[in-house]
Amino acid sequence: MAGRRVIAGSLLLMLLIPVLAACGSTPAAPAATTAPVVATEAPVAATEASAAEATEVPAAEATEAPTAEAPAAESQAVYTEGDLMAVAAKECGNGYTGEIKEIAATDASTVKFTLCTPDPAFRAKAAFNSFDILPAAYLESTGGNGDLLTKPIGTGPYMVESWTPGDNITLKRFDDYWGTKGLPETVVIRWSAEAAQRLLELQSGTVDGIDNPAPDAFEVIAADSTLQLLNRPALNVFYLGMNNTYPPFDNEKVRQAIAIGVDRQRIVDNFYPAGSEVASHFTPCSIPNGCTGDDWPAYDPEAAKALLTEAGFPDGFETTLEYRDVVRSYLPEPGRVAEDLQAQLADIGITAKINVVESGTYLDQASAGELKGLHMLGWGADYPDMTNFLDYHFGGGASKQFGNKFDDIVAALKDGASKPTDEERAPFYVEANNLIAQHVPMVPIAHGGSGVAYKADVKNAQVSPLGDEYFAAMDPGGRSTFVWMQNGEPASLYCADETDGESLRVCEQVTEGLLSYEQGGTAVVPGLAESCDPNADLTEWTCKLRAGVKFHDGSELTANDVVTSWAVQWDAANPLHTGRTGSFTYFSALWGGYLNAPAQ
Amino acid sequence: MTTTADTVTIPSASISSTEGPWRRAWRQFLRQRSAIIGMIMIGLLAFTAIFAPLIAPFDPVQVLLGKEEGIKKRTGPCVHLLGCPAEQPEHILGVDGNFRDLFSRIIYGARLSLLIGFVTVAISLTIGTLLGSFAGYIGGWLDNLIMRMLDVLLAFPFLLLAIAIVSVLGPGLMNAMLGIAIVSVPAYARVIRASVLSAREEDYVLAARALGVAPVNILFGHIMPNAISPLIVQATLGIGTAILDVAALSFLGLGAQPPTPEWGSMLSAERNQVFTAPHLVFIPGLAIMLTVLGFNLLGDGLRDALDPRLKR
Repeated sequence: MAGRRVIAGSLLLMLLIPVLAACGSTPAAPAATTAPVVATEAPVAATEASAAEATEVPAAEATEAPTAEAPAAESQAVYTEGDLMAVAAKECGNGYTGEIKEIAATDASTVKFTLCTPDPAFRAKAAFNSFDILPAAYLESTGGNGDLLTKPIGTGPYMVESWTPGDNITLKRFDDYWGTKGLPETVVIRWSAEAAQRLLELQSGTVDGIDNPAPDAFEVIAADSTLQLLNRPALNVFYLGMNNTYPPFDNEKVRQAIAIGVDRQRIVDNFYPAGSEVASHFTPCSIPNGCTGDDWPAYDPEAAKALLTEAGFPDGFETTLEYRDVVRSYLPEPGRVAEDLQAQLADIGITAKINVVESGTYLDQASAGELKGLHMLGWGADYPDMTNFLDYHFGGGASKQFGNKFDDIVAALKDGASKPTDEERAPFYVEANNLIAQHVPMVPIAHGGSGVAYKADVKNAQVSPLGDEYFAAMDPGGRSTFVWMQNGEPASLYCADETDGESLRVCEQVTEGLLSYEQGGTAVVPGLAESCDPNADLTEWTCKLRAGVKFHDGSELTANDVVTSWAVQWDAANPLHTGRTGSFTYFSALWGGYLNAPAQ
Repeated sequence: MTTTADTVTIPSASISSTEGPWRRAWRQFLRQRSAIIGMIMIGLLAFTAIFAPLIAPFDPVQVLLGKEEGIKKRTGPCVHLLGCPAEQPEHILGVDGNFRDLFSRIIYGARLSLLIGFVTVAISLTIGTLLGSFAGYIGGWLDNLIMRMLDVLLAFPFLLLAIAIVSVLGPGLMNAMLGIAIVSVPAYARVIRASVLSAREEDYVLAARALGVAPVNILFGHIMPNAISPLIVQATLGIGTAILDVAALSFLGLGAQPPTPEWGSMLSAERNQVFTAPHLVFIPGLAIMLTVLGFNLLGDGLRDALDPRLKR
């Protein structure tokens, strides 16, 4: 009998082995999704959907020959081989949505950008970190991803020495840097999602600078003579979004009710640090034309209830309130704000169930238009221009985050973007801002002030309104290593395909673009190009490259490197158009679209 | 007929020399100071939970901003009797980050924690007892099947498996309790199986079998009453563990959803204020600790009282 049991038992065990194997795979996935804050921050606007299209469709086009898509074929790239590279769209419009007509190296140190329409913001956009220049040879040897994602080669004051995932990135000074060499010999980037930990590390002296201390800690830091606190200007917006394809938010009256049913002043007063302000418009006022048009309607819960009744919801309704539990400059206390909004919504009869979504998933869902309820999200300026705020969210090329686009807003923004001066653009932005307040795709709540704290002995400590602090200029009290602790780990260091500030800040130290923003400010200053000058109607921009600029691998910067770095992002059919996700979100958002764009 | 120790022929629990086994256990239990402390702690907790609406001065989910003069976010405890200035509103344990009275939230949290503990243990106890007793009593291939499946469950890290279950079911207090209940099943099943295994060869069981009593009646009528005391201990200790584990899930955002006053989620919400407003972190933490300690002391006391080998 005992023998029979042993046999039965072993048989069962054998049967269970496949079961075990199958079960073994289950805990892994949840482990990844349920970590409270996952370090791999997905880009603020990356759309998984478009990423998939970008990688799959061009391949299909390539094999199925030009018969497949007539309009796409019209806008195919033209490459000029030879000593000097050039890439051009066959024509503007007719299926090609982008604004760049041609990028050409006219000689070894000159690159000419030809645009389809005048663009007064060209310099501000071209200075953005996503358009940094990498050696053409390195891009080709990595195939557009692989090593490129963790060890980019650039021209910046620091080069990547090592990246220990989950722990730190170590940067070494680049001694052949063309400009002012970096002061610290080594820069170490660390990260922690917990504000309390960042502060503790700063106080105990293991790091030299931290990003985003908690609002309540501002006083603690200010009172500590061994620390210094720098306030970052509020060049961002926090908003409560709604998707107009899901009921009840498909009813404009419901959205208008929420627009006046939320006490935004109360949120700013209680959950934001000094230097924050209530958002009168989606765009902060420090951006030209940002505050044109009427102010956001005042808080009026009674009128909000009346509107809800008019919309057919006299007893309110039930919905979800979704957010990601991640601290950003525009939202220093996500959980507290969510619970306060929940309580405020209850006052006008709306029962909101709070739903916390993992950060990367949340952004993907937002871009794909899958967030059905109210959702909390924000936006930090990349460059100080209206297009960076309004076009990205509400323009023709915007994602499905707020559902179907509002044609009148899209039209106003298109007109506004094409005018050369701020004065000429103003009337269109008055119209756009007023239309946004009328249609309420979202409720702008706050422009959040935030801070950066350093040890008191860090000289020339600085804070950037764009969130890209420049460590080369800071002297960590004579020490050779400068340690910086930010909110999260970069997703990759190939910033052409990243949108999250945590990645962009590290790229700022390593790679450079034709132009850049001044340290601690937003003005555009020369970078790898000594100048980028337009022709009279702002459709041709000629950039003269600086002489004697060396990459970290010792090779010289040439005009072809510039053309390649741009073409890889621009041309969706380029074999190097791969990156981490392949979405190259910023390129499309800032320059209107790709060459050989995948069919929508 | 009474039996004396040297002439015992039927060692059944239903026949004893001077007093019943439960009464004896109770006496044993009262002899231990730590068990009494545990019982008092749990008693206080139960009292708090039952009379929460009478004890708590505020609604635990009410945001007091705009409803009370002079209220400030994350202020420390303020009791007027202990010298807190009269113009400051009285909050025994302070105010949390959303302008809610922390004391009221802690009080209602006790209610929730007790509920969590009992429901979770009830679920896993029911499933565990059924599986374990059948496995132990029937034996053979069924025993192997059940126990190997439970071994598979045991092979996963406890909390990780619970997280996996909650991720599939979706976050929420009920699902968190279910998750913890499922992963605690093997512990109960093993305990009851061991007891049943040792009891089923006892003479009184053989006697019942010889008399033709139906197997189900033997299992639940004869074996279970004699095998249940280790289970009582396990369940009492399990309540503490369940409260702790559900608090852990809530801390990770998978358990109670805001604004529910659950201790773990309260702790999680204010974790970044540990230096600036420590009371918001330590008080919920202390509440969890005391509750779990209470159940552990009670469980230990029960084990000592119910274990016949420790009879004095």
